[in-house]
Amino acid sequence: MIQNNALTLHVEEITKDFVGLRALEDVTLSLHRGEILGLIGPNGSGKTTLINVITGFLKPTRGRVRVGDTDITGWPPHRIAHVGLARTFQTIKLFRGLTVLENVEVAAVSAGLSRPQARERALWALERVGATHLATIPAGALPYGEERRIEVARALASRPIFLFLDEPAAGLNEQESDTLLEMLTPLPRETGCGMLIVDHDMRLIMRLCHRLHVLNYGRTICEGTPNEVRHDKEVIAAYLGSGRRMLPC
Amino acid sequence: MHHLKSTSWWPTSLLLSGPLLVLALVVYLFGGEVLQRILIVLFINLTMVLGLQIFMGNSGVVSFAQIGFMGIGAYSSALFSMSPQAKAMALRNLYSFLVPVQVPFVVAVIIGGIMAALVAALVGYPLMRLSGAAAVIATFALLIIVHTVLINWSEVTNGPRTLFGLEAYTTLWVSVASGILFLILALWFKETRLGLQLRASREDEAAAASIGINIVWVRWIAFVLAAFVTGVAGALWAHFITSFSPLAFYLPQTFLIISMAIIGGSASVSGAVVGAVAVTAIFEGVRGIENAINISTVFPFTVSGLTEVCLSIAMILILILRPSGILGSRELPT
Ligand SMILES: Nc1ncnc2c1ncn2[C@@H]1O[C@H](COP(=O)(O)OP(=O)(O)OP(=O)(O)O)[C@@H](O)[C@H]1O
Ligand SMILES: [Mg+2]
Repeated sequence: MIQNNALTLHVEEITKDFVGLRALEDVTLSLHRGEILGLIGPNGSGKTTLINVITGFLKPTRGRVRVGDTDITGWPPHRIAHVGLARTFQTIKLFRGLTVLENVEVAAVSAGLSRPQARERALWALERVGATHLATIPAGALPYGEERRIEVARALASRPIFLFLDEPAAGLNEQESDTLLEMLTPLPRETGCGMLIVDHDMRLIMRLCHRLHVLNYGRTICEGTPNEVRHDKEVIAAYLGSGRRMLPC
Repeated sequence: MHHLKSTSWWPTSLLLSGPLLVLALVVYLFGGEVLQRILIVLFINLTMVLGLQIFMGNSGVVSFAQIGFMGIGAYSSALFSMSPQAKAMALRNLYSFLVPVQVPFVVAVIIGGIMAALVAALVGYPLMRLSGAAAVIATFALLIIVHTVLINWSEVTNGPRTLFGLEAYTTLWVSVASGILFLILALWFKETRLGLQLRASREDEAAAASIGINIVWVRWIAFVLAAFVTGVAGALWAHFITSFSPLAFYLPQTFLIISMAIIGGSASVSGAVVGAVAVTAIFEGVRGIENAINISTVFPFTVSGLTEVCLSIAMILILILRPSGILGSRELPT
């Protein structure tokens, strides 16, 4: 793992074409350690695609992804994970036949820990997300609401330097969303990771994020603090068009 | 923090190997030769299905190639265990540098395992990118290739003809030792870091890659280890049966161990053990009935293939009623 607190993740002019569709066009952003960046935009605006490009699940058509001086563009996902990037999935992907503890432990093992060390780390990560009591349950038997927390714990267990969360609040009610907020807020400060979060829960996003980056049809339409973004005309128009409410407050 | 006891492989080891050892002891003391031979077959089958479990059970990728590795183990151990005189009789065209080579039985068995592992290592890496139907087809092709080589490389295999003249070194206790040893190995492997990573990749490839698991690599290691175990099983079988041809390492035997894995439940080592015992019992039982029918003059006909029919029915029933096998992914005693 790269050990440098000053490291920054750079996404440079990423374009991603699918057959007959440009999902991302010239997207540039950077993510610093210790900060929380919100990536928002209407459905289909390319948020998941961008996470997939950064973490190696998709190869960009053009553009680079760098971590510090290391160009990781086009690397396979498992190598990118070893650089210290961890993610969750919008469509939950747990190891359903393994226990919750094993789900998290295997991430720590894959980051290079021995099994006893990995167990300690996994218990730490489960405690962070408030799921210690679920440790021995098979992941396939978890109630829906708990699954996303386990995915976050699994991502945390590798002690990432950059963490990507794809809609961690999907399906949560207000109270659960508040719990998530409490859980996520101190993470970057305490673990030193940079966090990029995608979500449609604007209550959460506005309170959690230091900065926002807004996509629409694959293009950056706005960047800034939550307050700046909230009042941006183009952002409001994009969200009006999508029928989603941008401003809860 | 420490209230969670760590996953441990030895309680299951004891629980599974205990009854097997008792069974072996009872048959050794009180059973006749026929029963002893059946038990040797059981323990060799067990070794073989454990080899399959190590790869298929943990990775979720089906391999039809295992019996090819059994054949490689059988022939290469034979080349190293047979006396120069026996080779001169049975393998007239053997490369001359191999004729005088003779090593102790145990060494020959290990060589058998190593040769199988080497072949698996060389051909396996590109195969490990595959899963699902593609893996079935590719590993099946590998079985056919190995079979074709065994039939045609007559310098070392005597071609399609029977190779004879091996010593019957594989006693009951040799087969028991192998079965128990690899039982423990399989249980231990599951709980290693690599075993855990492999099981995670079985459940979800994308999630496994996202946490840094190199799926091709972990599968490849398991494939090579599994080939070693299966090669050893082949070597033991060769020195039990003492004469065989390449036909012994083909479809019927493949069907047999796949049915063991499916009936018992390949995701757990306990399932592999249950499958090996159940299928060997069905197989030997039905074969006994078949022989009885054929020997007696009561019936105006003879039967053949009854064992395959019964195994197929058992397998179909299991697939319908309990698709993940008798034990599924559970390890005894849970
Ligand atoms: N593998 C793919 N092949 C073809 N098109 C794709 C693929 N993945 C995504 N797309 C398309 O790319 C566009 C961007 O999709 P993406 O999933 O990145 O949006 P999103 O911002 O994450 O949306 P949501 O908020 O609904 O999750 C969509 O039009 C989608 O249909
Ligand atoms: Mg998305």
